[in-house]
Amino acid sequence: MSVDFLHPDETVAVDKSVPALEMRGIGKRFPGVVALDNVDLTLEPGKIHALMGENGAGKSTLIKIMAGVYGKDAGNIRLRGREADIKSPRDSLKEGIKVVFQEIALIAEFSVAENIFLEGYPTGKGGSIDWKKIRADAAALFRRIGFNVDPAARTGSLPVSQQQMVEIARALVHEARVVVMDEPTSSLTPNEVSLLFTVIRRLAALGIAVLYVSHKLDEVFEIADTVTVLRDGRHVSTRPISEHTNDTLIQDMIGRRIENLFPRKRGAPGSKVALSVQGLSTAKKLKDVSFEAHAGEVLGFFGLMGAGRTELAKAIVGFDPITSGTISVDGSPLLPHDTHTGVRLGIGLLTEDRKSEGLMGELPVYQNASLASLGAFARMGFVDKASERKAVQDYVDRFRIRTPSLFQQVKNLSGGNQQKVLISRWLMRGLKVIVVDEPTRGIDVGAKSEIFALIDRLAGEGLAVVMMTSEMPELLGLADRIAVMCEGRLTAIMSRDEATQENILNAAIG
Amino acid sequence: MSELTQSSAPRRFIGGQLLGSSQLVLGVILAVLCIAISIAAPQFYSEANIIAILRQCALVLIVASGMTMLIITAEVDLSVGASLAFVGCIGMAVLNSTHSLTLGLLAALAFSGAVGLFNGLVVTMLKVNSLIATIGTMMMLQGGVYLFTREAVQNHHRLAGFTDLGAGYIGAIPLPVVVAAVIFALAAATLRFTTLGRYLYAVGANERAVRLSGVRSQRLKLFAFVVTGLCVGIAGMILSSLMNAGQPTAGRGFELTVIAAVILGGTSLLGGRGSLLGTLLGVLVLKVIDNGIIILGWNQDLQMVVPGIVIILATYLDIVRNRANVG
Repeated sequence: MSVDFLHPDETVAVDKSVPALEMRGIGKRFPGVVALDNVDLTLEPGKIHALMGENGAGKSTLIKIMAGVYGKDAGNIRLRGREADIKSPRDSLKEGIKVVFQEIALIAEFSVAENIFLEGYPTGKGGSIDWKKIRADAAALFRRIGFNVDPAARTGSLPVSQQQMVEIARALVHEARVVVMDEPTSSLTPNEVSLLFTVIRRLAALGIAVLYVSHKLDEVFEIADTVTVLRDGRHVSTRPISEHTNDTLIQDMIGRRIENLFPRKRGAPGSKVALSVQGLSTAKKLKDVSFEAHAGEVLGFFGLMGAGRTELAKAIVGFDPITSGTISVDGSPLLPHDTHTGVRLGIGLLTEDRKSEGLMGELPVYQNASLASLGAFARMGFVDKASERKAVQDYVDRFRIRTPSLFQQVKNLSGGNQQKVLISRWLMRGLKVIVVDEPTRGIDVGAKSEIFALIDRLAGEGLAVVMMTSEMPELLGLADRIAVMCEGRLTAIMSRDEATQENILNAAIG
Repeated sequence: MSELTQSSAPRRFIGGQLLGSSQLVLGVILAVLCIAISIAAPQFYSEANIIAILRQCALVLIVASGMTMLIITAEVDLSVGASLAFVGCIGMAVLNSTHSLTLGLLAALAFSGAVGLFNGLVVTMLKVNSLIATIGTMMMLQGGVYLFTREAVQNHHRLAGFTDLGAGYIGAIPLPVVVAAVIFALAAATLRFTTLGRYLYAVGANERAVRLSGVRSQRLKLFAFVVTGLCVGIAGMILSSLMNAGQPTAGRGFELTVIAAVILGGTSLLGGRGSLLGTLLGVLVLKVIDNGIIILGWNQDLQMVVPGIVIILATYLDIVRNRANVG
């Protein structure tokens, strides 16, 4: 391994006229499905190229082919102008491609420096590992990408954002010419995202070609030079980002126009108080939170990561314990403070974490939908399966839940359809207040508008909807009133008309 | 590999339909065993031998019925063997002092139900992992039974009804088999047709989701622990009747046989998946192997070895089958 990468200001010696990576006519089949069909992609040195598409569009297959995880069935790959044969992850690394996957592939128990030099430790006399050099080299690498991590820290003890930096630093050790980032911001705070972007720009400035895989529009507009969109395994478009608007990008991704992402059909909210929360505190996070939500209203809660939205959601439905305060639903106090009482009074939570708190993945769709209302289908304790299935089928039809049958295991549905199953679960039960926490997390753009329409409909039917969200457009598009949280406190409540991005963010910073 | 979702969905669905095929596989194994053993030893099919097998199955099936429910909720009870021995001693002692079959049975059920309740409370309230909690209970019971009696509690009451518990017949069918069949049918109907059964599966599949839906998941687990305990009470009294004594050393390894039968029957230790029909087949397979080893005159120590091999093989086959379904 050479040491020339250690000079902080040196750029990778590249000929900028030759593409760093060229993929032509890439095809990949899996049994029963064409994952990629004749896909082209060209990455220029020093440029940030975004790869977009809905789930199932073929993004991950394409980068796994680059990474040597999958072989390709058709097409060819050229690196810096010459044909490359990538048969394994090892080949890919050797050819100068570094893929940073969402699942971070570092050894948690090792130090940062050890992880960086995992493929070849610098050795000193008699083959013993030169630890001093490893630490110093690692520190130099971090300086080069403009990021500060302690090389001696145990990797597992670092936040995800810093582990990503370690992965990126490894790219430099391998003298990577192409760095692929797969949905790198999915678990980062806004601050960490901006740091990551700084580092990515630094990589580009070094002459590295960056492929940024994401489905977040705002990020792509902020960082990318060029964007390629895939849909259903096919190449749809490659254009400079300056030629795109939000609408054209969405249109390319889902293949149709969305006229209005936030259709509002409901009338004005009523004045009846459906949920009243007074002086609510919890042991860990919430401090003296008070608010009311009215029937027929969408009350949006905004806050930065760690502001306490999810904690509030779980506390007011009775899932997490509280230390003080009162919650009442339609005038009845939530006592004892548990979900059994909560659901009986008519308040339920649509969780942000569908997999671990919402779905019973192995069980069929109909059992997932009827979970909260099973008692309504019981006669003497026996389930009347016919009427249960009929009721579920009714919701499957109304909400256009795409599933081969009611007996399909719910884990096989797409995120959007899973979310609709969980919304059905609550509607079948009948609620007065529904708390929705990040209702569109992990859901495709196309399905998002359907979820928004459903939320609008819920409020239209007279429910009070308490919506926790970190997505500003969602907040401004759906909410009648906006509450802002910061570090466990409620810092502002404003009507939709008073709200601007600026005063919301000010309140969120505290 | 999200690209695969769409195409593999229908295939997985067919896989779901074939899920019952773990029982099919087990049924085939059972048939092959029966045929092979009867070729080698024709007396396998004698009425006496079949009744002996069924009686052997009865004890295991009674406890396995409760255990299936419990494992479906993603918990397990390792104390059933130790409890089985203790229950027999207590039941016999109460019979000796009261000369009332009813009181003896009630004492046994009260004790074993209390053991189940204790396990359930430790798991749901103290949040101790059930594997560890019930190993603790098992040790307490194994030691406790010697504090209660150093030797077997003999039958001093000579109640005819008590002897019938193990040795009686209804028509041509041994009473323990009838009892096992009734408990099996009740448990199977509960799991299959009632809201309670549906909630038991739901708790095993995702306890937090069940709680968020307003269902008291702790009580469901508690229920499954107590039912398992009560099943042990019934089995313990039948066992002491068969031995005509309360034996503190009885039931060693019984918990392993029961859990093995349940797992063999396709019930997942992770919860949310399983059936009593599978458990029945699991019990039959294990006991037919037992019986075959005896009537073929093989070394009896193989009675432990062979089931061990069968469990590993069957579980491996299940993994292979699941993998084939996923593709």
